[in-house]
Amino acid sequence: MRLIIDGLTQQDLEHAQLYQLLFQYLLFGITAVIFSRLLRKIPLKLSHKAEYHLRKDIFAHLTRLDSSYYRTQRTGDLMTRLSSDINMVRDAIGQGLLQGIRTIVVLFSALIVMLLTDVQLALIVYALYIPMVIIFFLILRIMRRRQKELQEKTSELSSFAQESFSGIRCLKGFALEERRNQQFTTLNQGLIRKNMLMQATRQSLWPFMAFWFGVGMILILNVGGRRIIDGQLTLGTLTQFIQYLLYMQWPLLALSWTSSLYQRGVVSWGRVREMMEAQPNITDSTNPHTEPLPHHDITFHNVSLQLDNRPLIQHLNLTIPTGTTLGITGPTGCGKSLLAALTARLIDPTEGHITLGSIPLPELPLDTIRQKIGCALQEPILFSRTLEHNLAFGLSQPNPDRIAWATQTAHLDQDIQRFPDQLQTLLGERGVTLSGGQRQRTAIARAIARQPEILILDDVLSAVDTQTEAAIMQKLKPIMDERTTLFISHRISTLQYADTIIVIEDGQITQQGSHQQLLQQSGYYAQLHAQQNLKQQLEQNP
Amino acid sequence: MTLTRQLLTYIKPYRLWLTAAFLLILSTSLAINYLPLIIQRITDDCLMQTQQPIPPRLELLSQLSILYVLIAGIGHLVRYLQGLLTAYIGQRIIYDLRLAVFRKVLTMHQAYFDRTPVGTLMTRVTSDIERLQNFVTDGVVGTLADLFMLLGIMGYMLYISPPLAGTLFLTLPLLYSLLVYINRNLRNANRDIRDRQAAQNAYLQESLTGMSTIQLFNRQATAIEDFDQKHTQLRAAYFQEVRWFSLSFPAVEGAQALASLLILGVGGILLLNGSSFITLGIFVAFLAYIRDFFRPLSSLSEKASSFQVALASIERVFSLLNRQPDIQNPSTPIIPPKLNGTIEFKNVWFAYEDENWVIKDLSFRVEPGQALAIVGATGAGKSTIINLIGRFYDIQRGTITIDDINIQDFDQTDLRRRLGYVFQDPFLFAGTVQDNIGLHHPHLTQTQIQQAAQTVNADPFIQQLPHAYESQLNERGEGLSLGQKQLLVMARTFAQNPELLFVLDEATASIDTATELLIQDALAKLMNNRTSIVIAHRLSTIRHADHILVMRHGELIDAGTHDQLISRDGYYRQLCQLMQHSHQTTD
Repeated sequence: MRLIIDGLTQQDLEHAQLYQLLFQYLLFGITAVIFSRLLRKIPLKLSHKAEYHLRKDIFAHLTRLDSSYYRTQRTGDLMTRLSSDINMVRDAIGQGLLQGIRTIVVLFSALIVMLLTDVQLALIVYALYIPMVIIFFLILRIMRRRQKELQEKTSELSSFAQESFSGIRCLKGFALEERRNQQFTTLNQGLIRKNMLMQATRQSLWPFMAFWFGVGMILILNVGGRRIIDGQLTLGTLTQFIQYLLYMQWPLLALSWTSSLYQRGVVSWGRVREMMEAQPNITDSTNPHTEPLPHHDITFHNVSLQLDNRPLIQHLNLTIPTGTTLGITGPTGCGKSLLAALTARLIDPTEGHITLGSIPLPELPLDTIRQKIGCALQEPILFSRTLEHNLAFGLSQPNPDRIAWATQTAHLDQDIQRFPDQLQTLLGERGVTLSGGQRQRTAIARAIARQPEILILDDVLSAVDTQTEAAIMQKLKPIMDERTTLFISHRISTLQYADTIIVIEDGQITQQGSHQQLLQQSGYYAQLHAQQNLKQQLEQNP
Repeated sequence: MTLTRQLLTYIKPYRLWLTAAFLLILSTSLAINYLPLIIQRITDDCLMQTQQPIPPRLELLSQLSILYVLIAGIGHLVRYLQGLLTAYIGQRIIYDLRLAVFRKVLTMHQAYFDRTPVGTLMTRVTSDIERLQNFVTDGVVGTLADLFMLLGIMGYMLYISPPLAGTLFLTLPLLYSLLVYINRNLRNANRDIRDRQAAQNAYLQESLTGMSTIQLFNRQATAIEDFDQKHTQLRAAYFQEVRWFSLSFPAVEGAQALASLLILGVGGILLLNGSSFITLGIFVAFLAYIRDFFRPLSSLSEKASSFQVALASIERVFSLLNRQPDIQNPSTPIIPPKLNGTIEFKNVWFAYEDENWVIKDLSFRVEPGQALAIVGATGAGKSTIINLIGRFYDIQRGTITIDDINIQDFDQTDLRRRLGYVFQDPFLFAGTVQDNIGLHHPHLTQTQIQQAAQTVNADPFIQQLPHAYESQLNERGEGLSLGQKQLLVMARTFAQNPELLFVLDEATASIDTATELLIQDALAKLMNNRTSIVIAHRLSTIRHADHILVMRHGELIDAGTHDQLISRDGYYRQLCQLMQHSHQTTD
């Protein structure tokens, strides 16, 4: 460009020369565009690849962590780390790399080229830039502080709205709408004020920069112009200088943005790292017992369990011989369900130990223990996939016969017939929403489809009506008889199928015996029996 | 189009300020775009006039430079003011809208809240409104500013050199459509990212909550595989975005380079041919314009593709604002000075939806000062009754009257102000204990609040809090036991001094006996001298009632005093026995 302009100035340029120069310009332009694209594409793509691998590794890591980790973490928080924090790290890598390289390359090459072209003009540019950069960063710092205040105000406002909407009953009940509206108005006004403070700084950035560049340009024109008039400088060089000045505008703007991106990236990386460094408490032993087990008796040896310093199970001794069913009952929160978790080694006891087939659980590989267990819970987690996927969840290979058998046993087959796509019906938000009873029966079918050695049924019939319950128990009985079964329930009608029943109150066994034996003792079991009889009478009464 | 008209009603109050903003935009685009013209004059008149004597040229140079700095200073200052003004107008409009949406939501009917998750409502108040704000400030005003800029530049270009300007304008349609094309693809890629991100997050959420189940069934490996599949799809969408993103800036740069090339080529040829149309200064000025020319152009193309996203938000916000509340106030509400407290149901039928009647042909009457207890098994429709009196829902048939005035003739807010509800699940607001009891009531003094707390036995535990009545509570009332929260809520009801009282009284397992006694005592004091209806689960509460209704499946099956009912060896006696038993088993 400089050559063209100089050529035009001196009026000694031939047509052919002009074309040649234009052609060169075209070539350079094309190269610059391609280069500029690659400069963006490569680091950004790289950052997405890094993001992908990072998230993949973390998810795999999360599948290894045990319930003690999940108990202390809120799912929402984990989600934030897995999504926005990782994205933040990615942006720091991608945009950081991109802008970092760009800024340094452009800035330094421009500075050097300018210095080589004309020392005096270059020095003017430097002298102009340094105070500008300082002021610019000062404005940015104010802006960031105000941004933070604005964010606090915004979240204050949204939690106020959230509270109002979720407490709408209370609000309407006390006719508080008008007062709430006034409070909201005040918050809203505060938000505007913060927002305007923020805008006052933000809006100043661009005009300030543009003005400063304008001043720079006119200074160069002035100083350079005088030298052109004196004949010491060509117009081409001057134009070239102005062009450089313009080139440097963007990298400078980007520099501040990159640094804040980097800072946020570092904070997020810390949060992500924390998650990666969490170690599972329950792991396979280094020297696991791999021989087949002689039997599947489960024994609790003086087992105690404390969670968050609260004693939940105290000195429990218990044996469930192979092929028998242990019924477990007790008031809500007595620790019944923890027995199931302990048996599946989802939690380790604080004191004492549990053996399966005479081998302590920690010596058995986790895979082996869980392979042997079929577990159904009162509020089962089903996945938003097809019904078939959920039923075959515990099977290593799809087995239609097994699923058919399991759904029949759990009395789910007729429900399935009524679903739009039978076994292929989608569950969850975008599919069919199952009733509580259907969910529980699905969980039973899922557990028995594995044909496990140990069956854990934790209050799985609580949402099923009495008649279906009886029918299911009839079919489950032979299956339970072949296995070691833990049967947790609140209902006497189902507990009577168990060989032995224990009552747990405050983490201790208070009653133990068969259905008949317990009925004759005064205590929780007999109370429960009387209460449920009364309830049944109430239901039957016209 | 009605959408635009509705938006305009919100913009209308600020039309004068908007006009001012447009005038400012106009003047800055005139001023700032005049600057390259000065540069042209410097080049042509000062630098290139080699035949002229040097001193006047130097003087002209100084003069033009000062002019340049002045115009630039004023231009950019005006631009700053215009930015502030635009932002302020946007903020005001959003302020009005946000307030309108919030007010609207609060007038909505209980059934609406049953159907609509809080998250959705939050989205309306926060992100939808924010998008609207961007639409108004960046979108509408920004587009106009860009257009003015563009037109300003084009005008100056035409003024200084029609042939060069014409050449440049020829490329415009091509460039603009290229930019729109890239931006459209970029937006599609972004939409894919959002969708796939949502799918992946849903999967993650489910896996994290169901991690125990996954581990129990040894499905870790498949879970990782499934995740990987969703994750790979997301990455593909990201790559697509990178592809178009990495094209968008270079496209602008390329266009700029191409335009410079054109100007150099055409201008160069014209100069070489000795055309009088063009001088070297024009040439240089043009190169400066080209740079300013592309910024508004690319920002215009960006906006064109982001308008649709904003429109969806606007539509959602206005459809909420246009919703008619299901329960309307009467045009001339009856506002009685003081209620005696007679409540009467006459043949009331009610269903939450369709014909699934929850209340069937219910009739009863409560005399002033009486305490009525309603008993029945779960799902008998007991709590619905007290919700109907407060008009949280409207009945389908029959009438409900208070002091022989149909409740539909009351003003809703006035009606509810006279009613006091004590719910099972105590709701606390973020704020001090005092505010939670007083609810910012303008006429409640601190002493009255403390008295209320003392009456319902809440004072002792409040005094033990770190800052007593000034202690901060958060929404979930962390640090307070359930019993304490219930006492606090009772103090609140007592302080508001309602004319009629409704209590949902459920024996709760997790409250210790001592607190339980305090709650019962508080309840008795609340009900004293007030017409009250209690949905009772505690025998002690029922015994104190003047009259008892026995409900079953939405029907009234028996009524009378406790002694009358218990002597009848019926449903009521069984219920009482059950209550006694459940009290023992839950302890």
